Amino acid sequence: MFKLFEREVLSVDEISSAQTSISVQDLCVSLNGKNVLKNINIRIPKNKITALIGQSGCGKTTLLNSFNRMNEFISSHTISGEVNINGRNIYDKRERVSKLRSQIGMVFQRPNPFPMSIYDNVSFGLRIQGEKKRRVLDDSVEKALRKAALWEEVRDRLFDSALTLSGGQQQRLMIARALALEPEILLLDEPTSALDPLTTLYIEELIVELKKQCTVIIVTHNMQQAARVSDYAAFIHMGELIEYSDSDSLFTMPAKQQTEDYITGRYG
Amino acid sequence: MASKQEQGIVQADYGQERMRNQFKTLGPMNDPSGQSMGPFYTQEGFREKYLGSLLEVLVMLACAIILIVLVSTIVFIAVQGGRYFAPMSAFQVTTFIQHDLNTANASIIVDDSTKADNTKKDRSTKQTDSTSIEYMLSHESQETLTNSITQKLDNQFIDTGSRNITVVVASADDLFLLSTVSGQKFLGEFDSLQNGETEMDNLSQLTPMKSTVASLQQNLNDIQISRLTPLHREINDLNVKQVSQDTELYQRKLAEFYQWQSHANTIKQQIESYRINLRLDTNEVISIGVLNMQEFYQPNKLNWWESLGYSVEQIYIFLSDSPKQASTSGGVFPAIFGTILMVIIMAIVVTPFGAISAIYLHEYAPANRLTEIIRISVSNMAAVPSVVYGVFGLGFFVYVLGGSIDSLLYSDNLPSPTFGTPGLLWAALTMGILTLPVVIVSTEEGLSRVPKNLRAGALALGATKYETIKKVVLPMASPGILSGVILAIARAAGEVAPLILVGAVKFAPTLPIDGEFPYVHFERQFMHLGVFIYDGAFHNQTETQVSSLMFASCMLLLIIVFLLNISAIIIRKRLRDKYERL
Repeated sequence: MFKLFEREVLSVDEISSAQTSISVQDLCVSLNGKNVLKNINIRIPKNKITALIGQSGCGKTTLLNSFNRMNEFISSHTISGEVNINGRNIYDKRERVSKLRSQIGMVFQRPNPFPMSIYDNVSFGLRIQGEKKRRVLDDSVEKALRKAALWEEVRDRLFDSALTLSGGQQQRLMIARALALEPEILLLDEPTSALDPLTTLYIEELIVELKKQCTVIIVTHNMQQAARVSDYAAFIHMGELIEYSDSDSLFTMPAKQQTEDYITGRYG
Repeated sequence: MASKQEQGIVQADYGQERMRNQFKTLGPMNDPSGQSMGPFYTQEGFREKYLGSLLEVLVMLACAIILIVLVSTIVFIAVQGGRYFAPMSAFQVTTFIQHDLNTANASIIVDDSTKADNTKKDRSTKQTDSTSIEYMLSHESQETLTNSITQKLDNQFIDTGSRNITVVVASADDLFLLSTVSGQKFLGEFDSLQNGETEMDNLSQLTPMKSTVASLQQNLNDIQISRLTPLHREINDLNVKQVSQDTELYQRKLAEFYQWQSHANTIKQQIESYRINLRLDTNEVISIGVLNMQEFYQPNKLNWWESLGYSVEQIYIFLSDSPKQASTSGGVFPAIFGTILMVIIMAIVVTPFGAISAIYLHEYAPANRLTEIIRISVSNMAAVPSVVYGVFGLGFFVYVLGGSIDSLLYSDNLPSPTFGTPGLLWAALTMGILTLPVVIVSTEEGLSRVPKNLRAGALALGATKYETIKKVVLPMASPGILSGVILAIARAAGEVAPLILVGAVKFAPTLPIDGEFPYVHFERQFMHLGVFIYDGAFHNQTETQVSSLMFASCMLLLIIVFLLNISAIIIRKRLRDKYERL
């Protein structure tokens, strides 16, 4: 009986290395000559939802992008420090970026379906990996769409253009597309900012469901969302990690004044 | 509460202001409030108002002028070209010229533009009063024809006031138009039908005569195919086997061959003996073999259906026949064929080159000054005069490349060149270089239309840059590439100057594709619609029939280019709808 009310969330310092999914050490990132992230140290636990909060331009998305090296998309960038996933530094020269990215799913702020059918969108990642067997593809598409709670809605029109879906459906399709590769980590970059409240709720439920399968890291501007969904939360300000703890304590009794100011809406 | 009221007032004021602004754009006549709006009719408001409407009028005028120019170009070409296919009426023109004896030296050049052969009267001959009769075909009505001929004759006298001209134009309903297979046209009265020595005045014999000739011709063909050709082959085989000519077999075959040959000759003579005689305006009777006759009809007696049939037949001939009589009749099929083939080869060359260069420039090239310079040079390439490319093609492709190919592969044929002369391949390559910038620019445009977040999406799914470009970017950029290629094709179809230098000729005896190995002859010269028109414009400009063939080709070129452009627009729209509805 008592167990029901107990949350299985350890405090940040108690996370053992076995339970760590991503550990970041002294990460500094500068993009286009601007220091965006300064000396970030953070350990993100496995199979939990971690929210990154902070005002616009503080570096949340950059931090998220450093987990799958998407910052390299920007032409001038310098990165120092380490990001260890499963004990391997992903910035190691021997690491293959495309392999890494196929193991880390990412969902962007705005749904960006490819102009192909729903089926082709979901199977895109697997096809890139060289999977050609129709049966394997069929199975994984269905599985991914089911996980993303989209299967029932699109099962009859898998070969319609993905662009015919509504915004919320498209965003779930994007989650399905990422899940089709069965990633260990799922990065969500403000996934609901372009959606209406009801769809947002739907996707939030989905995210909570997803933590059984993978580590979820979510960037959000929405304090309520962060409080509702996340197990852990990190507050970033001006490129620095101000506070990182379990969500309950961060949102109810923040240790730092800055954090309190931000979550109570005094700035940002 | 008070502040809210204030706000309301401010809003109301704003509304009024807007209303006034709206009225400002109207003319003074439309201003419903007129003078009562007093304070707004300051000097400045007035000027602003009229300057604005003046600008509007100027812009409208400019648009109207552009529209008028465009439409009139198209209408002009369509009317002039369409005339080529319309049936013409036959007229008899009688010209009486009376001369004043005092000005006996006045020169008369009767240069009748509407007929192929000009009657030129020599300056040195002593001018006397003259009467001349001429048959002619014209689209014009009797009256306008009279006026135009009179005026023309008037103008052709150097000395005025020394002559008295009377022109009588009469519709000549009895005249026949006879055109031969080789494209010649004769206008004259029916004289007689002839079969050897016997002459018949009865025109009704023509149809049976035609069928007789046709069956004779059929016989002749049969003999050629089933007798003469096999016999000839057999004799040839015997020759190869070195069988002596004295053997019985050889002699028999030879006798057989000669027998059939003489038989064939008799039939040929028989065919030749069926002739039709026509009395021309010069009172001279010409005799034409029925076999050589293509059309024979009375132009003035065509009814509506027959006219339509005539036009359809003319269009068919125009599209399917080759030019005859030094490009004055016949059709333009070799030119269409050459144009399309050249353009296809060009597209095959230019599409991958252009697309790959654009992909490199847009996706892979570092964003530095060198890339920028390359990009600017590409745009500038589009502005280089096309004749420069022609000279480049001639100097590089024909002389250097073609010359080297000849000396390497076709050295047996030297000094007569194979690839070392202007030809289809070099023309296609030259046009490829000429249109490369079009494809590059339009592909780059297509690439830059691909949203960044789609690339990010593909990369985040573990695709490499190459896979992203291949699977996501290129399909989405395909409308750009395609419309670039079609625009390039349209450009190449209409180009003339460089083609003259690198392989297009005004008359090519053979098509670049035929049944002879290797079937596609890249080294052959070819005909091109643009060059054909260019050449047509240099023919005797007073011959309307010829110039309307040129105008008809012009119309055809215009239609082809329009169709290409429209298809580019449609394809672009379709693909955009498919890929860019985000």
